[in-house]
Amino acid sequence: MQLENDQKSIKQTQMIIKVATYWHFLLSFSGIFLLFIILYEHGFGKIPVWLSYIAAILLGLLSIGSFYSGIQLIKNRRQGRTASLVVNYLGLIISILFLFQNLGVFLGVDALANTFGSSIGWLSGVLIGYLVYTAGDRFHYRIHIEEMFHKIGKYIALIFFAIFLIKAGLIPALIFLAKQMIIPTNFVIVFISILFGLAIWAMWREATALYLNRTNAQTEALEGYLFLSPNLIGFLIFFAFPLVFSFYISLTDWDAFGNSNFIGLTNYFKLFQLNLKQLANSSQDFFNVMDGSIFSELLRFNMFGKSYVLGAADARFWIALRNTIVFGIVTVPLSAIPALFLANILNSKIPGMKIFRAIYFLPSIAAVVGISLIWQWLYNATVGYINYFITIGLDFINNIFSTGYPQAQIRWLSDSRTALLAIIIVSAWQTMGFNTVLFLAGLQNVPKELYEAATVDGAGRWAKFWKITLPLLAPTTFFVITTTTIQAFQVFEQVFIMTNPPGSPGTSTLTIVLYLYQNGFQRFQQGYAAAIAWVLFIVIFSVTLLQFRSQRKTGAYDV
Amino acid sequence: MKSFKLSRFLTNLGAYLILTFFALIMLFPFIFMVTTSLKTPDDTFNYPPRLLPREGVEISLEGFEKPVPLYLIEKDGVQSEFALVESGIPAGIYAETDNQSITYSVPLDQAKPSESGEQFVMPDGTVQPIMDVLINGNIVQLVQVGKTALGRFIDPEDFSREVFQVVRTSQPVTKVTAHPENYTRVMTMENMGRSLTNTILVTLFVVIGQLVTSVMGGYAFARLRFPGKDKLFVFYLGTIMIPFVMLIIPLYQLMVLFGWTDKLAALIFPWIFSAYGTFLMRQFFITVPKEIEEAALIDGASRFKILYSIFLPAAAPALATMATFTFLYAWNSFFWPLVIINTGNYENHVLTLTLNMLRGRASDSANLILAGAAISILPPFLLYILGQRFFIESAMSSGVKG
Amino acid sequence: MSRKMFLVLSVIIVFAMVMSACAPVVVETAAPVETAAPTEAPATMEPEPMDVTLRWRTRPDNQAEIDVYSSVSADLDAAMDGVTLVYEPGGSETSSYQDVLKTEIGAGTAPDVFWIPGTDVADFATRGLILDMKSMADATDGFSAGDFYPGPMYHLTFNPETNMTGEALWGLPRDVSTFALYLNLDLIAEAGADDPRELAKEGKWTWEAFLDVAKKVQALGSDVYGYGANAWWGPYGVWINSAGGNFYNADRTACGLDTPEAIAGLTFERQLYVEDKVAVPYGEDSEPPFMAGKVAMFQNGRWATPGVRANANFNWDVVELPTGASGQGNWLFWGAYVVNAKTEHPEEAWKLVQMLTTAETQGKIAALGANIPSRMSQEAFDAFLTFTPPANNQAFLNGIADANKPTAEGPLWAGSWPNYDSIMGPMVSKVLNGELTIEDYQKTICVEANKAFEQ
Repeated sequence: MQLENDQKSIKQTQMIIKVATYWHFLLSFSGIFLLFIILYEHGFGKIPVWLSYIAAILLGLLSIGSFYSGIQLIKNRRQGRTASLVVNYLGLIISILFLFQNLGVFLGVDALANTFGSSIGWLSGVLIGYLVYTAGDRFHYRIHIEEMFHKIGKYIALIFFAIFLIKAGLIPALIFLAKQMIIPTNFVIVFISILFGLAIWAMWREATALYLNRTNAQTEALEGYLFLSPNLIGFLIFFAFPLVFSFYISLTDWDAFGNSNFIGLTNYFKLFQLNLKQLANSSQDFFNVMDGSIFSELLRFNMFGKSYVLGAADARFWIALRNTIVFGIVTVPLSAIPALFLANILNSKIPGMKIFRAIYFLPSIAAVVGISLIWQWLYNATVGYINYFITIGLDFINNIFSTGYPQAQIRWLSDSRTALLAIIIVSAWQTMGFNTVLFLAGLQNVPKELYEAATVDGAGRWAKFWKITLPLLAPTTFFVITTTTIQAFQVFEQVFIMTNPPGSPGTSTLTIVLYLYQNGFQRFQQGYAAAIAWVLFIVIFSVTLLQFRSQRKTGAYDV
Repeated sequence: MKSFKLSRFLTNLGAYLILTFFALIMLFPFIFMVTTSLKTPDDTFNYPPRLLPREGVEISLEGFEKPVPLYLIEKDGVQSEFALVESGIPAGIYAETDNQSITYSVPLDQAKPSESGEQFVMPDGTVQPIMDVLINGNIVQLVQVGKTALGRFIDPEDFSREVFQVVRTSQPVTKVTAHPENYTRVMTMENMGRSLTNTILVTLFVVIGQLVTSVMGGYAFARLRFPGKDKLFVFYLGTIMIPFVMLIIPLYQLMVLFGWTDKLAALIFPWIFSAYGTFLMRQFFITVPKEIEEAALIDGASRFKILYSIFLPAAAPALATMATFTFLYAWNSFFWPLVIINTGNYENHVLTLTLNMLRGRASDSANLILAGAAISILPPFLLYILGQRFFIESAMSSGVKG
Repeated sequence: MSRKMFLVLSVIIVFAMVMSACAPVVVETAAPVETAAPTEAPATMEPEPMDVTLRWRTRPDNQAEIDVYSSVSADLDAAMDGVTLVYEPGGSETSSYQDVLKTEIGAGTAPDVFWIPGTDVADFATRGLILDMKSMADATDGFSAGDFYPGPMYHLTFNPETNMTGEALWGLPRDVSTFALYLNLDLIAEAGADDPRELAKEGKWTWEAFLDVAKKVQALGSDVYGYGANAWWGPYGVWINSAGGNFYNADRTACGLDTPEAIAGLTFERQLYVEDKVAVPYGEDSEPPFMAGKVAMFQNGRWATPGVRANANFNWDVVELPTGASGQGNWLFWGAYVVNAKTEHPEEAWKLVQMLTTAETQGKIAALGANIPSRMSQEAFDAFLTFTPPANNQAFLNGIADANKPTAEGPLWAGSWPNYDSIMGPMVSKVLNGELTIEDYQKTICVEANKAFEQ
């Protein structure tokens, strides 16, 4: 009887595997069929060329995977099960994503936002439930009271949550979804998803696994992929693919309306097109020596008694690059050195240190947009506080030394000499607190014994700072400098909010990212903008690399 | 011994002074934001600037229809409150004939051509009549050198005591007030209420989504063996350094393809997968002792059960740290919403976008703009006060080991 | 254990939210007015063949304007059979209204009818983003392009393929606007300067008279200014036009900024900023100091009126611009309602464009005070003049009266206006800040600016 049952279940398993094998062959053939449609017919109508290639590659890979698992399943191999599960899982995910996209589930967030405001109050009921639940923990010595509290808490939370869902429009949503299901495409996709689901079940069930000699390592690997999959799929779609895609875009003249031609490295050539010419005298106009319709004057300089002029096809790019680098070079020390200084003071165990630390950290949690708006008013030349403070300071000095400095009327944001500095100050102000906390964390890792030993040796405050603190803090310093630099090179929001038009006066606050934004989203040269992004990346990368190497040289990184 | 104490006291005092100085620099802009957001519009344009919201004091006087503003005026060497009852009175600037740098501003009707009919030749050659001008009750003979306009100020107690002087340079009497209605006003402008809801919703989704994917991915990287794991992990690590601007153009095109431009979905779904978060969680899970897990596995617990009954409770501080990190990122992000959400679609704005709009639409009202800024800045501050530890730790966790 | 429960709960939250999310789409479609969302519902659901939904958009400057446009939308909605109107206010000037519109058109989410500034018509038209309504207009009884100011209509009927005007119709102007000087009368009286309004009446309101007033006010103190204007092409363009110059050559195919007339205008303006220092420094926003009572003459458009009314606590009025060698040289600013090239209901959209520009609608908007009717109709003008203060509303109408030969703000059919602006703006700003001499400017400006014509 037992044996018969076993026999029966083995037969059943064999049957299931057989069906799954057919399914895989069917899958790979239909995959190849679709692939041909896409490649030769540019099927599915309106999809862009690049997308059809990506779809083709994906389909090809899936078909091959499916074919491979089919073959392996015929041979009753373990690998067949792994491959089959992977293929079916991907198929299921893709078809479910398609279904969601088709049903408009992702866009439903917009609609949810509509009702969310009025229903969010009900969520506080869940909080009450939680409080009741935790209140029960006080009675842990009387188990039934504790359990009663837990139960009541749970129900309260659930009931309020249900009310929240209904208020947020769950029922009409379900009705809407049900209606959508009647549409043939959706129906077909659901059907396909169910097929994929069945195939997964067929391979996952214990009997099949045993029949195909599963091992613990295989199970663990499958589980590993399963756990990683949501992350990995999202990561591939929204990070890795765009990264590669970005490079492709930079080789085209893509605009925002979907027109694109492959133009090779033209964008990069235009960015880097420079022209150096000697001038007859230092005041000669640049268009006398080079074609004024292509080049613009970037800078002129004197070398060995001769004047030269450097022209660039895209002078604004070079100006933006220069501004960005200046911004980085000034902002980084301006936010790191005071931070190091403050961290050292905070590290001495005086009372109230936590309050100061908390205050210093405040600016780094506020939105850059908000911060920029505040500072814009502080910087106002006529009624702003900054000029007022400077005036008070000058008056004070004037009174004491009877000097005659005039009233401060610094036009922080509208004078091309101070505008970039103004932005730098805001950025440094905002990152300083964050850096202080980082340094503080680094300092707390420095062993106290070293200082004690140094004190015994009679080292002074400064000597201790230079000989102990700084070297041991090197990893933190490296981290602070690197992250601040990377951030500084991407400066955008401050400039965008504080200067009007952004980048003004003239081009004095035009930064690379702002220039990228202008090209990509105001002039719709997205190919060109993508090329700028890659140049920025290379700049950032090489600066980081440089810092990393100098760090290695001092040899302090291996703490 | 005494000198040691003293020097220590001085060091500490110096330390506190420096710390307080920097603390003021850090706090001042926020204080300025809050106080300005409570001001009236014309108060924001006052110079010298005043920190606290102030308003001019007005007084109802008999015989005047509207309340009149009060000013601090010096008369007969005493400073007291006067009411401005009339302004823009045409006046002349009169100078002494022998010393033209001494001038008096007096209403035109208080000066008459001198009965003597004398003339005076100005330094530039023009000829002016000598005038009889009433100054402090005396008639003085002066010559007119210019025109101006004055205000008439009277003593509210005694209407006959009056002073003529330039209104612009007079000092008004003010009192401290507050206009919290700026906040309710700004909430109705630019659909800010809705954008607050949107911001909360988006932040909630992003934080929860990122926690879920990072915990699962981190667990897989920390505890499960599968082919290609190390290579994948290195790949993840390598991408942490890649700046966001690299992605903005391709991601935009991707959103166009998905039909997500202008939709909240574009603010949520691309951001719930984080290489950095995965890395953080992996680093944490690696420190959890293996023995408990193995015991549970032998008991036949599934991986999911192990994850949420063993790893998650242990990871609560790490989760909170990561949540604050993500929260700040989602709440404060501006560049991506700016690119992807259209200005016209008021339904889908987030706070930062609304602030950007407000900047244009209320450019002459600092009080409203800063009230808007406060609405976006204060919620994170509130959370910060509640869970300071996690904020600081999220900063430290990013730094200590590099 | 409670943590476990909460994990489960939060997972449910995520799913439930996503699930519940779609519902209100249905709810919204049922509810009329206000919300702009319904169009995002998939086309397959609940087809209502009879009712056409049109979305339209303008860029209002303040909440009051949003309210007026909303009520206009409701009125027109009632007046148009079978058409449901959805009004959505656009962004503000600083939030790149036009650029976003372009991307929306690219992504297919733009409204059917929208307003764009006059300078952008060429860009939209040559990119094929807006509809040429010439044939529909020809078939419409009682429509005459001559009812509107000829300046804007010249550009709105320009056909870039034939280079002829009158051979296309890209849209109809929403309203027009022009510059005036907002006066702080208290400050001018205190300085003992002549009242500019009186001078204008007597015909003595010239550049010299203007400079005299500005200098007298400036003499009151270093924190007081005679003149203030904001840093964009409008204000400096006025001085250039007033001296007889222009941004472009006669047929708008090349730079005209280096002509002696254009240079004369800029030289005078530079004098205000650099030599005489009577102006709020160039690039600094002049609005806060004006509101604070520190600027005597603030040059701005009609759109600034509501703000001044709300915030100025001094006596104020407006006066027309002073005349230079070639008159006032005022701008005729305009923007037009145009129709999305991808609209599914071109006929209804054209109807809406007409309805939005009737004398009645314009009167209603003009009564708000922010703008001047684009239709030369007495009814609309009267509505405009009733909006006081400023008492001297006539100054605005004088600025664009034919006799004063205003220059209509215009698109650049032969080149790229955004590029032109981004070259011209920074160079002019350098001149007015004293960083660049007029001579160097004259030598290089057109070499650079002509690059905007080469694409």
